[in-house]
Amino acid sequence: MIANPVVEELRSIVGPDWVLDTPEDLATYSYDAFLPEFKPDVVVVPSSTEEISRIMRLANGEGIPVTPRGAGTNICGGSVAKEGGLIMAFHRMNRILEIDVENRCAVVQPGVVNADLQKTAARYGLLYPPDPASMFVSTIGGNVALNAGGPRGVKYGVTKDYLLGLQIVLPSGDVIRTGGKTMKNVTGYDLTRLMCGSEGTLGIITEIIVKLLPLPPAKATLQAIFTDLDDAANTVSAIVGSGIVPTTLELIDKVVLNVIGNYGGAHFRKDAEALLLIEVDGEAALVQSQGERIEKFCKERGAVEVERAGTPEEAEKLWQARRTAFGAVASLRPNCIVEDATVPVKRLPEMIRKIVELAEKYRLEIGVLAHAGDGNLHPLIMTDLRDKDEMGRIDRAMQEMVDAAIAMGGTLSGEHGIGIAKKRFMKMEVSESALEIMRGIKRVFDPNNILNPGSFL
Amino acid sequence: MILHEISDGFDQCIKCGLCQATCPVCKELLLEKYTPRGKVQLARYYGKGELALSDQFRDIFSKCLLCGSCSVTCPSGVDLKTIFLEMRREIAEKRGLHPSMKEAVIAVYEQRNISGEDNRERAEWRESLKSIPDHLYEKDEAQVAYFVGCVASFFPMVQVIPQTLVQILERAKVDFSILGGEEWCCGFPLLGAGVPERMKELIEHNLEKVHALGARDVVFSCPSCYRTWKEYYASDLNLFHSTQFLEKLITEGILPLREMKMTVTYHDPCDLGRNSGVFEAPRRILRAIPGLTLVELENNRAKSICCGGGGNVEMADPNLSAAIAQKKLEEVRATGAEVVVTSCQQCVRTMKGRARRQKMDLRVMDVTELVLQAMGVPSD
Repeated sequence: MIANPVVEELRSIVGPDWVLDTPEDLATYSYDAFLPEFKPDVVVVPSSTEEISRIMRLANGEGIPVTPRGAGTNICGGSVAKEGGLIMAFHRMNRILEIDVENRCAVVQPGVVNADLQKTAARYGLLYPPDPASMFVSTIGGNVALNAGGPRGVKYGVTKDYLLGLQIVLPSGDVIRTGGKTMKNVTGYDLTRLMCGSEGTLGIITEIIVKLLPLPPAKATLQAIFTDLDDAANTVSAIVGSGIVPTTLELIDKVVLNVIGNYGGAHFRKDAEALLLIEVDGEAALVQSQGERIEKFCKERGAVEVERAGTPEEAEKLWQARRTAFGAVASLRPNCIVEDATVPVKRLPEMIRKIVELAEKYRLEIGVLAHAGDGNLHPLIMTDLRDKDEMGRIDRAMQEMVDAAIAMGGTLSGEHGIGIAKKRFMKMEVSESALEIMRGIKRVFDPNNILNPGSFL
Repeated sequence: MILHEISDGFDQCIKCGLCQATCPVCKELLLEKYTPRGKVQLARYYGKGELALSDQFRDIFSKCLLCGSCSVTCPSGVDLKTIFLEMRREIAEKRGLHPSMKEAVIAVYEQRNISGEDNRERAEWRESLKSIPDHLYEKDEAQVAYFVGCVASFFPMVQVIPQTLVQILERAKVDFSILGGEEWCCGFPLLGAGVPERMKELIEHNLEKVHALGARDVVFSCPSCYRTWKEYYASDLNLFHSTQFLEKLITEGILPLREMKMTVTYHDPCDLGRNSGVFEAPRRILRAIPGLTLVELENNRAKSICCGGGGNVEMADPNLSAAIAQKKLEEVRATGAEVVVTSCQQCVRTMKGRARRQKMDLRVMDVTELVLQAMGVPSD
């Protein structure tokens, strides 16, 4: 519970309309796209850095937990009020402040939706590459806090690779700037990147400078179907090893392919074990020749069907299966847990085999989607949270999955974040002394532990 | 309570939030409670007994255009529209009608139309037609019944739609009749106001009157009437939206169209396009007009964005409706087209009203108006 005078002060800071504490409001800010729900005590919707600074000073003095929230699409429980307190929502800080063509960068507020930035940048012939599946909804602030990736990561990397500078409000209310508009900056510790992926535990991001790239003029989209999963996985390694850097290299296994068909989506041949969706972009001539080479690679390595899109409409059709995959799988059972284990790309076939083995061992339904080109797997575990026995088996399977990924030199989360979803696995990857450094960093930024408490530390 | 029957829908929602991408309401109102996800979760909390139906509940659920865009985006196939309609029903039952919808609902109960005027004046729009046959389009028998709908019957701004459609049908020698004062509201506004049980009487009456004509086909210029008949009227009648009927006449060569050198864009009405699956008929009509150039809106067909006139929102929150209409006009303006054509009287009203208020130089036309012009008939 937050004392009335504090709520009143919040109202005086942001205006009475933007402090929400009715049962309906608290209920609708008690979830994100992960499973557990926590009711906050109050929701505050600020409109400026200055307001946020005053809110933080107040919350810090009163010891009120503050959890920042963008569009609430993360799947690690990163934006729920795990210890109650205040949810800070960025709906009103949604302006693109500048597209700086000469410096090839953009300055945005945290509540800007990723796709809106992409669309605006494209008007200037520029590209903001990170493209998480939630891009039509999720905000740049949230993308930075979770270091969001996406299918284009194979070629373009992830959010942190486009981050040039930030404005941050610390729990004390102090406002700092990190980085700037320069591509190069080695002055002091790289606080910009430290904030990236910090899951709202260190400071409130109030302004973001991102790097943009020239929009590639052409792309080629291919779909290859394999009747042997190993052939598909080997093709992935072959493409990556050949010197071609695909924009996207996605794999869908047969469990997911079948589900897509039953869901009313595209139908694939019965013996299909895997589908690869491959995209390259760049100058038209290069894209053309790379498309041809990839087609050849696929056929040489056992693809039974290869389709190359000739028009944007055909490309969109090829993407359809991938786009419907998650929804199709998610609709099968009451709940769906999306795993995020990631391995060096060469170990991908091994990791997929491991997942198939775990599904059998623990009698689970697991489909595999993978950003195969960068070794980022998304096993989709279909379940019902109410089934205690099955949940127990899932927990053991996940433990083994994480074990395997780390043993292969991978990580327990490629792009979804730790939050509360994988907190229990942290020590499997991060040593005690590394964890202590993280805790130390947290203490420097947030000595009273008010920022997103209950998260991974 | 039917709510438990749709509770599977709540569980099917994985709270991914992707519905926010296309919902015009939450883009304006920002807060989570106004998102489709938020509304589904509120329904779930209510269903579990964790939240009571409050005035705020009523307010939140009235701020939905019932445009169906969330259902298209939802990766899990949640039947959001059913949940939202069911919640409106639940709220109306437990807490009474929404104050802003009360007037229209009572008008339907008492006068059989949403305007509250005497239902015998339903066909007053005929009076401004220059020439009209002796039967005044109200015949004892006809093969085709034209169901005009309340809005086009009573709102002067859009009476041009029935006025043009009857002229087209007459010139095409279609044996048709309207129901005049015997046409009752289709029931759609009651559905949106949460009192679907009161539709029964209207449905029975309308079916009886159409059958009395001996008609086999029913033509609608209102997409919402068309959709309501398709979904709630049990009959073996052939139902056509006017665009489907006109397309048929054009394909059969019955309606010769002259050249019209103009650039138009087309707005897909939610209840005709996304919610009834009629995308191509209006486009084929436009393409059949020689010289006419069709430029698509950025968001077209199933991705069309509501004009702001759906779901009784115009009654519940006129400012919200206007803000959404404004965005629509901006999208129209971006096409560079001189005319926005649509096939719904409510969309025409909403866009025209907003354009006038903004003193924006934009023509808004129903497809029927355009067809009559292309036939070389000057509009009255």
